[in-house]
Amino acid sequence: MAKEQGQRDARRSPTIRQSLQEYGRGIVGGLLFSLPLLYTMEVWWTGFIASPMRLIAALGGTFLLLLGYNRFAGLRKDSRFSEVAIDSLEELGLGLALSAFVLWALGRINWQMPPEEFVGKIVVEALLVAIGVSVGTAQLGDAEDSDDHGMGEDRDEPGFWGNLVLAVCGAVLVGANVAPTEEVVRLAIENSSLRLLALVLVSLVLTGVILHYLEFRHGKALPAEGRFRTVVVETGIAYAAALVVSAVTLAFFNRFDGVSSIIAVALIVVLALPATLGASAGRLLLRG
Amino acid sequence: MKKNWLEWTVAGVSLVMVLATLAFLASDALSGPRKPPFVELTLKQPESHGNGFLVPVVAENMGGQTAEGVKVEVVLTPSSGEKETAGFDIDYLPRQSKREGWVRFDEDPRRGKLEAKVLGFEKP
Repeated sequence: MAKEQGQRDARRSPTIRQSLQEYGRGIVGGLLFSLPLLYTMEVWWTGFIASPMRLIAALGGTFLLLLGYNRFAGLRKDSRFSEVAIDSLEELGLGLALSAFVLWALGRINWQMPPEEFVGKIVVEALLVAIGVSVGTAQLGDAEDSDDHGMGEDRDEPGFWGNLVLAVCGAVLVGANVAPTEEVVRLAIENSSLRLLALVLVSLVLTGVILHYLEFRHGKALPAEGRFRTVVVETGIAYAAALVVSAVTLAFFNRFDGVSSIIAVALIVVLALPATLGASAGRLLLRG
Repeated sequence: MKKNWLEWTVAGVSLVMVLATLAFLASDALSGPRKPPFVELTLKQPESHGNGFLVPVVAENMGGQTAEGVKVEVVLTPSSGEKETAGFDIDYLPRQSKREGWVRFDEDPRRGKLEAKVLGFEKP
């Protein structure tokens, strides 16, 4: 396998078998990470409630996220922009096809529906399937492969922007599984501010511990000097990414409509806990 | 950039799918503001069922927006005796979509007058 992969690096086109395996891994990843959402009613409903403009914006946002992920953690990371863009496009296409197939198999779409309804459902589900495809293609392969790619210093260390992109991807991947559910609204409405504050603290401690103290794969062992400051800064960045991702996904699922600002904050805080798990643990694991 | 014919095919098909989706959504977005939900009810032929009668009801949203929690009520005024009310709720009725259900009566709806109406619905 390592040898075959080496041929690929030598800029020769891969065999059909290699391509099929790569797509297969992508499809499995897509199903693995997004099946919970394909089985969630609120997501189907969003398909016909969301306005077309919102769906277009979400498609654009997902494409940017795919570009970022493929650039910093994809199978052919650090390759030319055109290659990263084509990979991202393929992942979006596979996401659409896979989402359409699963929704059809589950009896959620049919030809009697108006096109706005089934297109909406397919698009909403496809966004997460596409991210799953991307992660699956990059992560489910033979570990030896990815090591083969990691040549040069900067590939091993994604740097500030790379880490931020990976944190956002992780936050979306984990957070989006919970974001559309009614339970988030329940938790936001029924909990006191004191409890929500405690939730923020728990989120921050978890993030910091995951990033620096548990020796996760790719986790950094910091020099004692200036250690505390680095921990605080990185934890802050990961949690901030989680808050932003929470706000954006909640807005996509229309959770802020006619909601008072304190409830809006409560919603974000409730969702930020799973999202920050993605932004910290997810970020480290997604690097491959 | 070296790709085999399979990868180029997948890339091409993906491009077409993504562009088609965008074009569809854009044309939908540009088609102007959507009219509020307008639910039309159609009653089908009653059937006798066990100790009562079932009447199939088709609810169709002819408007441009989704209706949530649609309350459907059907009143039976028999030729003699008291009025009977039956109904059901529909979770979501997307625009231009149909949902079907049944209402149940003790008396035979074929001997009397049936009146169906929508009591109300929410904005999702």
